[in-house]
Amino acid sequence: MLETLAGGAPNVQLWQVGKPLIRKDAPNKAYGNTLYAGDLMMPGMLHAKVFRADRPSAKIVRVDATKARALAGVRCVLTAWDLPDRLVVTDIPGQTGGKTKNTAQPILAKERVRFFNEPIALIAADTEEIAAAARDLIEVEYAPLPGVFDPVEALRSGAPQVDGDANVVAAYRIRKGDVARGFAEADVIVENRFRTQVQEQAFLEPEAGLAWMDDKDVLNIKVSTQVVEHFRAIADAIGIPHNRVHVEAMYVGGGFGGKEGLTIEMMLALLAYHTRRPVRLILTREESFVNHGNRHPFTLEYRTGVKKDGKITALEVRLTADSGAYSKLSPYVLLYATVGAPGPYRVDNLKVDSVVAATNNLSTCAFRGFGTMQACVAYEGQMDEIAKRLGMSPLELRRRNFIQTGDKNATGQTIESAVWSEQCAVQALKALGEPARGDDVIKIGRGLACYQQSYGRIRWFKDSSEAWVGIEVDGTVIVRCAVTDIGAGQSSSLAQIAAEVLGVPMEKVVTYFGDCTLNPLAGTSSASRALYMSGNATKLAATKVRANLLEWAAKHFAVSPDELQLADFRVFVVDDPSRGMPIDELARECAADGVHRHHLAMFRAPTSEGLDPETGQGDVFPDFTFGAHACEVAVDTETGEVTVLKSVGAHDVGQSLNPQSVAGQIEGSALMGQGFALCEEIVQHNGVLVTPSFSEYLIPTAEDVPDTKAIILESRSGLGPFGAKGMGEPAFAPVAASIANAVADALGVRVFELPITPERVINALVRKEANTANAPASQSA
Amino acid sequence: MLPRFELCQPRTLPEALGLLSEANGSLRPFAGGTNLIPDLRSGRDRGGKFMALAKLDDLRFIRSADGCVEIGGRTTVNDLLHSSDIERDAPALHASARAFAGHMVRNAATVAGNICYGSPSADLLPPLLSLDADVMLAGAAGTRTTPLASFNLGYKKTALKPGELVTKLSWPHPKAGMVQLFYKLGLRKGDAISVANAAVTMALQDRVCRHVRIAMGSVAATVVRAEAAEKLLLGRELNDCLISEAADLAAAASSPIDDLRASREYRLHVTRVVVKRLLCQAMGG
Amino acid sequence: MTNVDASKIIKLTINGAGLEALAGPHHTLLELLRNNGYVEVKCGCEKGDCGACAVLLDGEAVDACLTLAWIADGGDVWTVKGIGTESKPHPLQKAFIEEGSVQCGYCIPGVIVAAKALLDRNPDPSDADIRVALSGNLCRCTGYTRIFSAIHKAAEEMRREALTHA
Repeated sequence: MLETLAGGAPNVQLWQVGKPLIRKDAPNKAYGNTLYAGDLMMPGMLHAKVFRADRPSAKIVRVDATKARALAGVRCVLTAWDLPDRLVVTDIPGQTGGKTKNTAQPILAKERVRFFNEPIALIAADTEEIAAAARDLIEVEYAPLPGVFDPVEALRSGAPQVDGDANVVAAYRIRKGDVARGFAEADVIVENRFRTQVQEQAFLEPEAGLAWMDDKDVLNIKVSTQVVEHFRAIADAIGIPHNRVHVEAMYVGGGFGGKEGLTIEMMLALLAYHTRRPVRLILTREESFVNHGNRHPFTLEYRTGVKKDGKITALEVRLTADSGAYSKLSPYVLLYATVGAPGPYRVDNLKVDSVVAATNNLSTCAFRGFGTMQACVAYEGQMDEIAKRLGMSPLELRRRNFIQTGDKNATGQTIESAVWSEQCAVQALKALGEPARGDDVIKIGRGLACYQQSYGRIRWFKDSSEAWVGIEVDGTVIVRCAVTDIGAGQSSSLAQIAAEVLGVPMEKVVTYFGDCTLNPLAGTSSASRALYMSGNATKLAATKVRANLLEWAAKHFAVSPDELQLADFRVFVVDDPSRGMPIDELARECAADGVHRHHLAMFRAPTSEGLDPETGQGDVFPDFTFGAHACEVAVDTETGEVTVLKSVGAHDVGQSLNPQSVAGQIEGSALMGQGFALCEEIVQHNGVLVTPSFSEYLIPTAEDVPDTKAIILESRSGLGPFGAKGMGEPAFAPVAASIANAVADALGVRVFELPITPERVINALVRKEANTANAPASQSA
Repeated sequence: MLPRFELCQPRTLPEALGLLSEANGSLRPFAGGTNLIPDLRSGRDRGGKFMALAKLDDLRFIRSADGCVEIGGRTTVNDLLHSSDIERDAPALHASARAFAGHMVRNAATVAGNICYGSPSADLLPPLLSLDADVMLAGAAGTRTTPLASFNLGYKKTALKPGELVTKLSWPHPKAGMVQLFYKLGLRKGDAISVANAAVTMALQDRVCRHVRIAMGSVAATVVRAEAAEKLLLGRELNDCLISEAADLAAAASSPIDDLRASREYRLHVTRVVVKRLLCQAMGG
Repeated sequence: MTNVDASKIIKLTINGAGLEALAGPHHTLLELLRNNGYVEVKCGCEKGDCGACAVLLDGEAVDACLTLAWIADGGDVWTVKGIGTESKPHPLQKAFIEEGSVQCGYCIPGVIVAAKALLDRNPDPSDADIRVALSGNLCRCTGYTRIFSAIHKAAEEMRREALTHA
């Protein structure tokens, strides 16, 4: 169910952008023709397996691969002792290869095991069965080494050190205004602690790839990845030049951030390089769970001062997160949570202290929402608790505090684009329709959550993306861009943009994507940046080609270029459309006259130099998306079961490129957020994973789907092409918070820890009973 | 990838029983494989010699005979779900089939497989137990019948002797007015292992309980009957107070554990809630 | 009784064409299919939790990862590629494409198999019927909403077709 509400005057007449055109990748995926990384084979291909540690923390005394190597059909066994002591960089995957934090991680564990199932050896053999048998023959002698499995414990003095000499991976502070004065001015102070859990991306396609050395001595890797720029890290780790590593991303069967770090590229590269044979590796689901970083769990402590009329006078926040064993992207996840801590509200007196600590738990890394959505659970829960205290409606409280265009956010950055939080909230709530009827046992509740989610990367990464657009003499168009297509239509959207600008129907555009050598580099498909960055680069390139074509056509038709239009595969004079020619004829004529029919463009995001380390003030992101999600739930107060009845996302996307794709993001996010709110949790007992497969780790099924609606608002104020804003994460950000708020509304008491399992609901009700019996006015976290 | 193992596929029941008898306990039968194959893959099962029952279509049936409902051991869960006879005559069993795993697994998983695997969270067990089902077993020496109540002995332990196969389950046709109810609580609505499940079968006459069975799963080493609760209700006129007391007794008859999915306390709480709810529903008609 | 190294020739009809391939007792139908070029049948979990490997076997939807090759011997298998092609798409495929039901696409082969199994049995399914039919298929991208609407759309088209040919 999709509704689009526009606002603001359209600044161009769009004939393809904004239409629900069929995505270019959809047909072949529906016919079963699309190949994914694990579908590839080559003659003489070897099969790889990974030997992993069976404990989360240990000294490695000895690794003996003799028996494994001796097994017939085994071609290669690599341990850390077979590799030069090069570590692999695990942060800032990006087009510049710059590194600002020390986040190196061993490729294979050498002296120490730091997390459960950390890779220790790689095997390549003639068959998968032989590789697995060889893996079982590897002998490892461990010596005990105490581990630490809680970030608060890890920060205590005397705690076991996970990596390096301190378990602090990163810490930030924001000091804005005067919180002491703000609290003094407050009529009411509300204080709560929230906890969010480790979530697994659970993309349907486990990590897979194929690598081989070719006759140019180039290492080729075809792989399921969100980032082809890892080619540099791979080259450095192996010790070969950057221009000899060719990474090609296949269509990815889901990423959500879990394929943003190195997944198995390094393993494939090492085995292919050492054996000089093609090598394929496909992870099992159980391996996938431990192989990539999951969502950072957070403890979020909020103390908010408000006046009786609802205006926030002060906010103090303390955030603690778990980095797992290696830093990876933890410093940035923490930064996003820190910057996003107040939410889409005007808070002039703000104090935030945040820390992320290393532990021997499984790695945490990038996952849709990247710290900001965890903050949303807390700040939106806090807003509802405040509203309850003040006897004000949740929407009204938010109305009185929404940040507006022109205001400064937590880090003092001025919000320049449209802020349609209120409009989105109103639309979302309206779309819930008539409330369901409950009874003595089944309580109905409604919850709203708003958010502020950045799109585009941190400014001091000096982000850029390039795209090449060219038109052939038959009028067909080529887009070349190394963007990875992870299922949200990244490659199709670039074709749609080129089609729009060049007046060519989308069927006549082909996007060549995901190739780090043959395509201009685009940067990661993450941070809701692909459409913004690569879309803009494509638009710039296509616009230059358009200008060149129109310059020729203007001379030909004896008009000025702005009297011409390109649309529907024709160039024509706007005031006299019969005067024109088909675009293939135009392209042929231009080619004959030596007109430049292609262009390579770079789009650069705005930059800044970083945050003030004392105050946390500075410009962090290019821009933000605003919106809302509203839910209606039914809670069985006897069993604790929560059923989501209705789920509505209303978001200002700036300009939707393909409304069907945007709706798909909203609907998919609604269910992924529901899983986070109610049933998903990666559980570790002292670092050992006890939810290793989809039987224990539960994502929502078709039977869990509520009545879902997507509402698109278009302010046309974004920095992306045609005024678009990023959507991949924004659609997801508020969902879990809205469900948590709905459950609190139904119960009259809040569950402060996610996921909201039936057991936690019952415990909250017991707590509520006890509180009502003892002290009616107490608040407890 | 599975480890290597030996496999035979008899085409008839006598052939199957013959092979089992020859193998003297070293041959393990399986039907759908929906538990066995994941167990082999994970190493929880060490492998060995297996006998596939896939070709024994004679054991796949749903029928009425001698006033009893009979289902063959090889009947799949979807066979139950798609049977209008089961929907009408065994609604609790039908509901448990509906709540069982996912569609594709239901096409492979069999009734015999579910009861022989011996998991306390087996969804078909509480309804079958509450129907007083009998299990017919066939071995080289002949056939025997044992009540299902005596078949599940403990966690993954059954009374199946080496060389035996479950050929059918049967239970008396429900009398008119008999209510059969089932409830499953999982951590998501679809395809989840039960945190607690329960089945109630009851016959009422003018609100007096003439017959009652309460069977609970996932709250003990095997599925259990709440016999003290049943005794309390039998012959008495039902009311909220009595039902509440019966639910307390039912919870007391369970012995749940703390595990990944839930704590012991929660399971006790929800067992009581579910049994009470099913009894109230039965009373309400 | 066989020994552990036994293999035999398995004969299957796949999407209407015959296949003969060697398989051991421990090989699953999923491995057999993928090793013989039918890579449209995807592997997601190898234990029946996700439905990515669903195929029609003798008319019923099964998880190929839980089906032993020897047990499937002689069977009639249909994968998404047999259900429809670019030149002759099945109404389900047409609807999935038009409704925007395809995002990363990895679950789609299995979902289309399960949806076809549903429509084969029930030409006018309700939302509740679709939930049952898709209860074994996980999708992480779409939230299922457009998958539901596509199945309704396809069912409607198929009912219309049936009427015009009646």
